[in-house]
Amino acid sequence: MEAAAAGPVPERVVVRMYQVGFGDCFLLSFHYRQALEDGRAERHLLVDFGSTHGPPKTRVSVVERAAALIAEHTSGSLDVIVVTHRHRDHLSGFGDPQAAAVIADLQPRLVVRPWTDEPELERDATAPTTGDSPARFARDLAAGQALAERVAALTEGARASSARGELGRLALDQLPNHEAIEFLDEAARESRGLYLSAGMASGIEELVPGIRVRVLGPPTLEQRPEVARQRANDPDEFWLAHRNALADLSPESLEMGVQSLPPATPGPVAWIVGRLARQQVGSLARGVRTVDDALNNTSLILLIDVGDKRLLLPGDAQIENWEWALKHAPDSQENRALLADVDLYKVGHHGSRNATPKSLFRLWGEEPDPDRPMTALMSTRPGVHGESVATAVPRETLVSALERRTILKRTDKLGGDQAFVAVAAETEGAAPFALVAPEP
Amino acid sequence: MAQIDTFTDSAAPEPVRRARQMTIVAQDPSVRVDERIVRAQVAVPVDRLEPGPRSHRLHIVDYDATAGRLGVRADLTNPADEGPLRGWSYRDRFALADDEVLEEDPAFHAQNVYAIVARTLAQFEFALGRRVEWEFGHQLFVVPHAFAEGNAHYSREDHGLFFGYLPRSDGTTVYTCLSHDIVCHETTHAILDGLRPRLLEPGLPDQLAFHEALGDIVAMLSVFSLPELLDATLGKPDKQGRIPAEMVEPDRLASSVLFGLAEQFGEATSGVRGSALRRSLTLAPGDAWRDDEAFEEPHRRGEVLVAAVLRALLSIWTGRIKDLIHHDALNRRRAAEEGAKAAQHLLTMMIRALDYAPAVELEFEDVIDAVIVSDEVLAPDDQHDYRGAVREAFAAYGIHQPRGRTIDLAENAQRFTYEHLNAAALRSSRDEIFRFVWQNLEALGLKSEWNIEIESLRPAVRVGPDGLIVSEIVADYVQVVDLTVGQARAITGLGVPADLTDDVPVQMWGGGTLLFDQFGRVKLHQRKPLDDWNRQSRRLHYLVRQGRFDTRGRLGFSMGARAGMSFADLHVPDEHAGEDW
Repeated sequence: MEAAAAGPVPERVVVRMYQVGFGDCFLLSFHYRQALEDGRAERHLLVDFGSTHGPPKTRVSVVERAAALIAEHTSGSLDVIVVTHRHRDHLSGFGDPQAAAVIADLQPRLVVRPWTDEPELERDATAPTTGDSPARFARDLAAGQALAERVAALTEGARASSARGELGRLALDQLPNHEAIEFLDEAARESRGLYLSAGMASGIEELVPGIRVRVLGPPTLEQRPEVARQRANDPDEFWLAHRNALADLSPESLEMGVQSLPPATPGPVAWIVGRLARQQVGSLARGVRTVDDALNNTSLILLIDVGDKRLLLPGDAQIENWEWALKHAPDSQENRALLADVDLYKVGHHGSRNATPKSLFRLWGEEPDPDRPMTALMSTRPGVHGESVATAVPRETLVSALERRTILKRTDKLGGDQAFVAVAAETEGAAPFALVAPEP
Repeated sequence: MAQIDTFTDSAAPEPVRRARQMTIVAQDPSVRVDERIVRAQVAVPVDRLEPGPRSHRLHIVDYDATAGRLGVRADLTNPADEGPLRGWSYRDRFALADDEVLEEDPAFHAQNVYAIVARTLAQFEFALGRRVEWEFGHQLFVVPHAFAEGNAHYSREDHGLFFGYLPRSDGTTVYTCLSHDIVCHETTHAILDGLRPRLLEPGLPDQLAFHEALGDIVAMLSVFSLPELLDATLGKPDKQGRIPAEMVEPDRLASSVLFGLAEQFGEATSGVRGSALRRSLTLAPGDAWRDDEAFEEPHRRGEVLVAAVLRALLSIWTGRIKDLIHHDALNRRRAAEEGAKAAQHLLTMMIRALDYAPAVELEFEDVIDAVIVSDEVLAPDDQHDYRGAVREAFAAYGIHQPRGRTIDLAENAQRFTYEHLNAAALRSSRDEIFRFVWQNLEALGLKSEWNIEIESLRPAVRVGPDGLIVSEIVADYVQVVDLTVGQARAITGLGVPADLTDDVPVQMWGGGTLLFDQFGRVKLHQRKPLDDWNRQSRRLHYLVRQGRFDTRGRLGFSMGARAGMSFADLHVPDEHAGEDW
């Protein structure tokens, strides 16, 4: 382990995972032996704050509950907000007026987001995508979100368990989160905002002394032009064109067997027309999934060293984002060596099949490492996404692999009244993270 | 020269035409020579056509689910032919049409898909010597503008092929129904599903890979069998129409012609096909793919088979043109024609092999086995050593013909009992085939403890190497056993994944193909025994790795009709196979 800069180093780190159902909300708290210059002996980093589906049978607002707990756990002062990417399940809390007010009162001093969230990038989804590539990509993403908005409108009111219901949920997750984004933009203006890409300095160390933060993703377009492509070789403005093509689509035409459209005469043509409703739903789902993938791939991937402990927080990054750090970056070999020894892993994308790349997992091996046990934290709620076993979130094969390799804590296994899980570790020495709440 | 008197006998009957020449886009509208879309005239079997067009096998329906619009039914018949025979007439109104018409006229799109699907089906029927049935009813729906998406797929449940279109922001549109290779590929899924529906069941990774590979192989060889296209990729000829001999060396052909075609495959539609084909071409020989998790993904795995066939094609093609080279040059058109012939021959070999391939639990080794055995039956002499070329090409990728998987039963003819059997009934009754199996269980090496079902029975008639008719019967049987993991663990030799709990229900499959000769005598037995525990272990481990449990938590059970849906998602190209869980 390389020596950290001279000065105070946290002696203890606590990671709290709040129960938000389907979403992510993590608080990293660093405790110092002695008070720092502002008189506080702790520093707090909030990583994501969103939820799309609360845990089953929970009546309270999970984001408001989490906000209150964050206020308590930070003793009223939050140092850094990290928003890994702009999906609802990672930032909706900032769009909830009550919850946002609580967070604002904590007076965050830095807001860290991926480079694609730079407010200066113009996001008029209908404008022609000329200009430099970051602006163009931001507009493309906005067009993708507009496509999702259209699909969400088309599927409104669909039965939750139907294919249309599933499509609607996926589309809703992509919607622009104007209130949350405005809150974050405002918070960044009042303090400081940083928009990071792979290899940049995080700026977090200035506020949280004695730690080292490596930004492994997302790559910029110069680093990996592939992240801007929705699919290999897809034309530019793919989503805009797709969105425009849906102009005449009506909600009724997505209902199988309820064809008021021509031909009215029963017969083979009417039969296949009815069947095509389902095909159309499938087609829209594939389109919206490309938006979902692209947004996931804007996720910040942070690797944090504190003393002898290493924490990995990859948001929802998928392989297209990950492969920069793992394979293409000039320092990818060093990255792989660092990633092979992780003490705490925030499970990517709620345990879905596509966000813990196997090339990453292979660095850890299948068997537990008795010398350096790894803790994994997974915030998830089953039954929200995935129609089949193969696409279900969380993905069973990944969960079994994690259960075998790591000490896995998951929000979906918490009792009804448990609002968070906390693990803690001394930063020096080999003792692994241990459960501190709920009482083990 | 003596003058021969000619006269016309108006009463003589005109020969009935077997095929019509229809204009299609040769490969893709983006493939142009002299800035004009390359067209081809292809032979399509004659059928009675209704507007759509709709024939006895196909029904083209121009419904756009995204726009909610039902297009006008295209009438391909000849308007000059009034009366009851109108349906039998045809007029190719697109032979001289402008590029704009080909690109934008829905009636041409309908003709294009109709012609390519019908031609592909005819190629299968020709090679197999019989009619090929769909997995459902009689008429396959083909929807040329199904939805706004650069994607196309086959759906068993919906009895159709669906071709999307991709609107672009500049107002133009890319139509997948105009890409020869895409139409061929999807048609092959539909045909193969009719022939071998069990290949979509949860099985070894080779099964789905074979579905994808055959689609690509048929697409590529079909496009290849049009000399119009090959000609253009061979480089500029001299005044005599000749090109230097170095242009047709195997490596050169691979990089110029095959790579050239791959570049153009689905060029305008996200390179769905092209990228796979390009990867196949660059896949280094060897069997490293077997240990590479990325190659468990069906498309990636299929590329191995495609690579082997491409290798065989180059070998056969260069073998055929050797004699055309004089003074270090050869006629370009002739070289292209030989390439087209080689492609056609290889295509027939690949398709014919399907009858000799197992109905369940298919592995790549079975493919090479079936290709060789079926060709041995039909062309015992193999003057040009095509089998050697194919065998060698597959071996380069570590796929070897297995010993003893197909058993020649003619040598042990005396062991079989034909008492009480009726040779005529054998040709039509699955019960009669079952009776044969039941009477000869031991001689066939089968056990009655597992359920045996004759799944299909297909009489086939072909022309043998001596020009005489060969009439055979092909029968598939399937064996299934349902058990729990606990029961499976009790079987010696069967390795069950350690983390499965004892109460998980498991279904295991076996089966085989029996070939009867024209006298109703059993001739060959292609076997995938249920009690091949090594294979069953590999399958269980693979299914567990893939998490292929059904909604009731069972492993390896038949998925029934739902299986067909898996295709839609498969067609999104995956550059990162092997990274997902």
